[in-house]
Amino acid sequence: MRNKLLCTIMLLSGTCSLLTAQSPTDALMMPQHQICILGQYASGTWDEYWEGTNRRSNSNLGTFNTTNVMLMANYGITDRLNIMAGLPWIKNSSDSYLKGQQGVQDLSAWLKYRPLALSAGPGEVRGFVTGGVSTPVSRYVNDLLPLSIGLRCPTASLRAVFNYTFQFGLYATAQAGHTWRGRTTIDRDSYLYNNQLYYTDEVPVPNVFDASARIGFIKPRFQTEFWIERNACISGDDIRYNDAPFPTNKMEATVAGWFGKVFVTNQWAFHASVSKVLAGRNAGLATTWAAGSTYFFTVGE
Amino acid sequence: MKKLHFSYLALLCITAGVLFTRCSKTVDDPVYEPYPETSLDQAAGSWKTYVLSSADQFSLPAPEAPTSSAYLAEVEDLKRLAATLTDEQKDAAQFWGGNGVLRWHEIAREFAAQYNVPPNYNADGTYPWPDPANPTVYPRFPFCNPPYASRAFALLSVAQYDALVAAWNLKFQHNRKSPAHYDNSVTQQIPENDLPSWPSEDAVVAAASREILKFLFPGEKALIDAKSAEHKNSRLWAGANVQSDLDAGDSLGRKVAERIIAYAKTDRMGQANNQAGYQALKDAATSRGYTDLWVSQDIPARPPMLPYFGNVKPWNFTDSVKVAIRPAAPPRAGSPEFESALDELRDLAKNRTSEQWRIASFWADGVGSYTPPGHWNRTACELIYEKTLNEIRSARALALMSTAVQDAGIVCWDTKYYYLLPRPTQVDRNVTTSTGIPNFPAYTSGHSTFSAAAAEVLGYLFPDHAAEMDALAKEASNSRIYGCIHFRFDCEVGLESGKKVGSYAVTRGKNDGAE
Repeated sequence: MRNKLLCTIMLLSGTCSLLTAQSPTDALMMPQHQICILGQYASGTWDEYWEGTNRRSNSNLGTFNTTNVMLMANYGITDRLNIMAGLPWIKNSSDSYLKGQQGVQDLSAWLKYRPLALSAGPGEVRGFVTGGVSTPVSRYVNDLLPLSIGLRCPTASLRAVFNYTFQFGLYATAQAGHTWRGRTTIDRDSYLYNNQLYYTDEVPVPNVFDASARIGFIKPRFQTEFWIERNACISGDDIRYNDAPFPTNKMEATVAGWFGKVFVTNQWAFHASVSKVLAGRNAGLATTWAAGSTYFFTVGE
Repeated sequence: MKKLHFSYLALLCITAGVLFTRCSKTVDDPVYEPYPETSLDQAAGSWKTYVLSSADQFSLPAPEAPTSSAYLAEVEDLKRLAATLTDEQKDAAQFWGGNGVLRWHEIAREFAAQYNVPPNYNADGTYPWPDPANPTVYPRFPFCNPPYASRAFALLSVAQYDALVAAWNLKFQHNRKSPAHYDNSVTQQIPENDLPSWPSEDAVVAAASREILKFLFPGEKALIDAKSAEHKNSRLWAGANVQSDLDAGDSLGRKVAERIIAYAKTDRMGQANNQAGYQALKDAATSRGYTDLWVSQDIPARPPMLPYFGNVKPWNFTDSVKVAIRPAAPPRAGSPEFESALDELRDLAKNRTSEQWRIASFWADGVGSYTPPGHWNRTACELIYEKTLNEIRSARALALMSTAVQDAGIVCWDTKYYYLLPRPTQVDRNVTTSTGIPNFPAYTSGHSTFSAAAAEVLGYLFPDHAAEMDALAKEASNSRIYGCIHFRFDCEVGLESGKKVGSYAVTRGKNDGAE
């Protein structure tokens, strides 16, 4: 289950849960009355980042490391409607003398609906609509980017997913979404945004557009997939030269990756993924890998 | 099952609705609305000035009488203008109509924040330093660090204050009132009072502030000129001044500012970044028996911030007083007092509570902020607004506080480079911080010294807020312990030292003729 919201929020930390299985952004659904529970460990690192559009290293920060442990659940209300939820624990550290940060981040929930599923030629075309919300579950430090584990703002998202799968297993998926992000509150009551001084502790966090394309091969016992995605804030300012990132920054990244999943039993699967940021703005040039396991079972039938 | 769908969807919609309300991007900024002034301060023309030899050091040609044809023509111009005002002009009349002194400090704080970024290192590990002759070329001039900001706010406040004392002296000599006094058909858009309008206190403040800020932030000349023109014009748009009130005020404000700038060019700030002289400071500290000297925690090591700022000329006492009140030596590494202070920080670095994080962040006033002197400048401006002080009392309050804050910076920097005590993280790398480590020695704490000096003066000026100001200073001081930026003794001695520095400004306040 891939958490696009987190991906977007954590661009600078380079924390993307690189996983596709019954997620808000993919073309898979849980059948009615089935639940899957997923646990995943992801680790990302970067020692270069984009300050605005300028790619640089920073000897005071050194190498940035992030760890993300994610728990997710997905339930089939019907074959065409799923509800899912996710909660990550994140740990960020660097070579700097600044205190590394860790903690439980934001709770997300989504409804995923499949209005379209029909045979077309040698395969099937399907369409999905996903709506989601997220809210921080703890008062983590959000004004110490890139070490902060998140921006601590509420979000709401809406996205559409289209998929074509050949009967022999080859598939292609395209999706696009928009995430509205609310204000966050910082511990100081003035800050610069767009080079203007604001006298408040409330900080507007830019909204995000994201899109991805993926090509893969899926069989009952395994799945493999290559993907590319683009996350971009719609507004925001750049990190000022030689200053730290801030929640108002216009963060952008283009990321490419691979994902693979194997079922060891009918109920139990393992997955792994790896990805790399190819281009960015106010973002870390992160390389991330992830591994996890999913358990499937039926309830209330 | 259908019903279940509906309840899930309803739940999601409600949650989305609640979140969406919180998703509003609107953030609120404070507003300084025009207010009727509580006092005319008719005797303010005799208040003690800082740099001017006396209030009448500069003279102006006498104003035309209110019955003269020249004056009547100016009033007619004003009425014609009133009929053609745009919404922007009406807004500007209100924006500047509250208290122009506070508006210029707001502008100064924004510049301080914008220019408060240390230069990045070069590929060879050296650091560039801003060139005042090329202020817009990277690294832009100035690097508005806390000492620079403390002096900027002091010079701005002193220029405004001295210029307003000179203006008040002339106002009550000639006693020419606002145009609405002489012509009922002039409608003033902001509260009226009996203060003589010539020379315009707003034009005096606009001109003095403009010249000082262009001297301090030369890369912002065009913006500063535009703000100054808008401030002066806003008085025409408000129907509060005629053009000759403004012209006289501008002329006076500019002359006073030029005098203050001449003072600033000889206050030894020009030598504050004497890096070639840093070895002499280290040698002197070594000769006093100190071996464990401060080194920069930046990578690559950054030249120390303004090692000779402690040598800049103080406002409220002499150089010899500065030496006399220099705090005693701090405990050195290995002593029980030092080790216990270090243990406190080791523990904090591991177990900082969220309230300690909040306090450390709130007062950090680090890179990209208006610095601790700017933080106290804002506090002073908020108190002035709450107490609806007139322009000259506002400028006096800001001058008393800002000169004390710069003096605090001078005494603190002198102490820092006298003892060259390392930062906690230099002694023990496990002491991780909540914010950036400033690039100068630890003892005494700048935050503590600045804050105690500011609180001492604000407590004198606003006695009903004295306890609150002391509590704020104490919190600002503690914030540096919570952030593991400072040892406890850096902060406690800094508070004592700042209080002492502030008392000199309080003594001046008691004797400047304004009580």
